[in-house]
Amino acid sequence: MSQTLFEKLSKVLVPIAGKLNNSRYLQVLRDAFMLAFPLTIFGSIAVVIANLPFLDKVMSENSLNTLKEMLGVAPNATMGVMTIFVVFGIGYYLSKSYEVEGIFGGAIALASFLLLTPFVLQVEGKEAVQGVIPLDRLGAKGMFLGMITAFVAGEIYRKIVQKNITIKMPAGVPPAVAKSFAALIPAVVTLTFFLVVNIIVTQIFKTNMHDVIYNAVQAPLIGLGSGIVPTLIAIFVTQILWFFGLHGQIIINSVMDPIWNTLSLENLNAYTKTGEVPHVVSKQFIEIYTVGMGGTGMTLAVIFAILLFMKSKQMKQVAKLGLGPGIFNVNEPIIFGLPVVMNPLVIVPWILAPMVVTLVTYLAMSSGLVPPPNGVAVPWTVPIFINGIMATNSLAGGLLQVVNFLIVLVIWFPFLKFIDRMNLQKEREEEQAATKSAS
Amino acid sequence: MKRILLACSSGMSTSLLVMKMQEYAKSIGEEAEIWAVGQDQAKKEMAKADVVLIGPQMSFLKEELQKEAQKYGIQVDVIDMVAYGMADGKKVYEQALKLMEDK
Repeated sequence: MSQTLFEKLSKVLVPIAGKLNNSRYLQVLRDAFMLAFPLTIFGSIAVVIANLPFLDKVMSENSLNTLKEMLGVAPNATMGVMTIFVVFGIGYYLSKSYEVEGIFGGAIALASFLLLTPFVLQVEGKEAVQGVIPLDRLGAKGMFLGMITAFVAGEIYRKIVQKNITIKMPAGVPPAVAKSFAALIPAVVTLTFFLVVNIIVTQIFKTNMHDVIYNAVQAPLIGLGSGIVPTLIAIFVTQILWFFGLHGQIIINSVMDPIWNTLSLENLNAYTKTGEVPHVVSKQFIEIYTVGMGGTGMTLAVIFAILLFMKSKQMKQVAKLGLGPGIFNVNEPIIFGLPVVMNPLVIVPWILAPMVVTLVTYLAMSSGLVPPPNGVAVPWTVPIFINGIMATNSLAGGLLQVVNFLIVLVIWFPFLKFIDRMNLQKEREEEQAATKSAS
Repeated sequence: MKRILLACSSGMSTSLLVMKMQEYAKSIGEEAEIWAVGQDQAKKEMAKADVVLIGPQMSFLKEELQKEAQKYGIQVDVIDMVAYGMADGKKVYEQALKLMEDK
């Protein structure tokens, strides 16, 4: 492939990436999930503590159960009801993006979502309990309905506000009071819309929006997203985008995060209840077993390969610079310094290594050799090995990363050696030229 | 006092470069305020800056940020890729100075 072909492709990709990155809905969705992020970290810490592997040896079963009960409220109050935060976040950020009052947008979105939520708990073989909201409707199971509702509610709300159909208060009324009146008509109209939807669905079709969206949208999408082929495609596209110097994750994740995050939530719910993890692919699978190995493209192995086996000064310098950030999964020095971007010499290992490693990880986890990540949120800056153990609550999760690390190293090695030889030759020629001109 | 704003995805990957640029500015005895932010804050922070540089992985932000930058009459450009990768504080600092002169 020639340089000009790369440049041509880059000219096509940059505007597409820009459009995706700047899409209002994707931006709002990204911010809404960010809102829930610190909360999920808090919940995760509690899950990690309650499931520390040695606890059953140092504690009696009774006191261990008490500990689990005490800490169990933390994931329930955060990840267990994550849809609430996402719905509120979407309503808030969407309104803000249209420059209308965000806090009301958030509250209206949340109320709209609750309007569609059945306040009844049906357990098979038992009488239905009235006046309760089943927790899973506010968590993983309600995620897609929540997102859809919040966007629709936000759009209706802001359109009415922007059309200026609001009750205006005379000057002199305190701004907070005026604001709450300004939101009155938009709120009533938006909520009426969802009330009518709910009446139609429950009374005429004898079902509820939760089940409709779950079965028609969420279950198929989640099923698709948890497959290995779509996952490999996502990795492939991420690598290609980075090859052109574009932030691959920002673009791919904004599309895939709703699916991956929902899979994580389902994993965590199952894990805290039964200790089993239903899905191999999830947010943590993608993050800890790709980015979590030294940054996109798992380049910590590349850094080690250079430091241990390569001789050219230019490469050594890049690797030394990249080592510190690389341990914490930041690898811009390698991507732009080696460079990876637009460098035809490394395109093969750059794309191949993450795909092979992802496949190996998938096989190791689906065969039961290594437990899949249990849904505990681990920040992406936690170093390799540690993050693998944390995400799977098992030493095997870290050891798998070591195996993966070696696979990356082996795939990259011949290509690095080739670049090294070229660089060495160039450096030698430069040296000779320098000594010649000096003498 | 020169005020240089760097923007990248989350403000994390550029922070190393910020350090190197500050070191360079200090070494040549210039007073400079250099800071990095994520893309969502770039527009807001612009008001305080004399020039805006974007991480090369976010090059697609240029057009959008440029529109905003016109309000303040400042320049926006993408950081040179190799200089970014090597965290070459001197080169990027000089790029920033050149942009400031251009306006």
